[in-house]
Amino acid sequence: MKRRKICIVDYGVGNHSSVAQMINKLGHSSRITKDPIEIKSSDLLILPGVGAFPLAMNNIIQDGTDKILLDEAKKGKKIIGICLGMQLLADQSYEFKKTNGLGMIPGVVRPMSFIDWHIGWNRVDFNGQKTKLKLQDDNSVYFNHSYVFETSPDHILAESVVYGRTFTSAVKKDNICGLQFHPEKSQYIGMKIFQHLIEELNNA
Amino acid sequence: MLKKRFVAVVTIKNSHAVQSFGYNKYLPLGKPDVIVKNLDRWGVDEIILQCIDRTSSNLGPDFEVLNKISKIGISTPIIYGGGIRNAVDAAKVVSKGADRILLDALLYSPKNEIEIIADKLGVQAIMANIPIRQDGEDYLALNYQTKIESQFNKFISNIPLHWISEVLITDWCNEGKKESFNIKLLEISDLIEKPLIFFGGISSILTINKILNNFKTVGFGIGNFLNYHENAVQKLKLNISNQVIRPQYFHNKEY
Repeated sequence: MKRRKICIVDYGVGNHSSVAQMINKLGHSSRITKDPIEIKSSDLLILPGVGAFPLAMNNIIQDGTDKILLDEAKKGKKIIGICLGMQLLADQSYEFKKTNGLGMIPGVVRPMSFIDWHIGWNRVDFNGQKTKLKLQDDNSVYFNHSYVFETSPDHILAESVVYGRTFTSAVKKDNICGLQFHPEKSQYIGMKIFQHLIEELNNA
Repeated sequence: MLKKRFVAVVTIKNSHAVQSFGYNKYLPLGKPDVIVKNLDRWGVDEIILQCIDRTSSNLGPDFEVLNKISKIGISTPIIYGGGIRNAVDAAKVVSKGADRILLDALLYSPKNEIEIIADKLGVQAIMANIPIRQDGEDYLALNYQTKIESQFNKFISNIPLHWISEVLITDWCNEGKKESFNIKLLEISDLIEKPLIFFGGISSILTINKILNNFKTVGFGIGNFLNYHENAVQKLKLNISNQVIRPQYFHNKEY
């Protein structure tokens, strides 16, 4: 396995240290930063996030981090968004109010219409045509969200079901990928998923 | 299917983990980070850190404990409660490694503080802890700071439930006492429109299954009893017949 230099983009929202610890445990190097030089020199970027969409986007724009991220994405930099970080990849969100996102993966973030919150461990089923990731029977990961990423089937990497309703739990477009669940809080299975995605994105 | 959760509750007093008995007697256990590391290794579904002396001393959240836990790299979701005074504290708690926060004293303060926290962190990040006991046909909620009890119905009508995602119902009289959870407390489910996690005196499979069969239950919490055996979480999970819970697993370092 090649050791990758991974930047966790710090936009002032969320629990970055858990993501950093997961990356380090997997044998890669991690840096929590918003320094453009660090971001540009990394192999892969992580957009983490716990919190509300408008505040996160506001922070990203105020720092000018949005422009750097969009530039890097265009150049082919691998980017993984986690939870709120995945939602920031969309065109827009309706959390509290209509707010533009980074627009890296076509889609809109809307409230889950069938449940107030989706909190806890639930199955994630990856699309076998889009990833070689194979999970065992117990493929539960940890979710904690109340909004979902609505996108076209072309960009759906994984789906989950809650109370009989299917929603998108992972998205992917070229070099950009998003996970609605928290791999860094999903114990063994989360580490396995994350490690696989890093390798798959880098080998694509 | 969304699984119900086995939640480990770690009570912390003076930055040390303690065994707690009925909210009035405490025995030392050790370093919180060591206990949390074990719980993480044993595959518990969530961990609540409950710092019980921070609010009364106006010390704010115990960031030192959170820092230590954060440094060891825990891959289990952490819920932190204790000393959170406002949205600044709440956001800092999350930045220091918690995924969600547990509020109790703040439930009694001006209502918009919780709304401000929700604006910042999202409602899904906010839980409330309500210690209760049965009094005849009634249920009484305890204000842990003032020790004043009020009727549960009246209490919940005065708190901003709209900004809270889940409620921890603590059987505080029986907390820490083996197999003593008052199963009648499940009736609380009819009085509150929120997903519930029950905690306090839960130690047997029979009781756990009864709690899990309750339709509003999303989890159960165990504290003291996880400290008496190695792999306590896996052993309990192995014996829970209810399929709604995530199965036990034993730590594997190969990813």
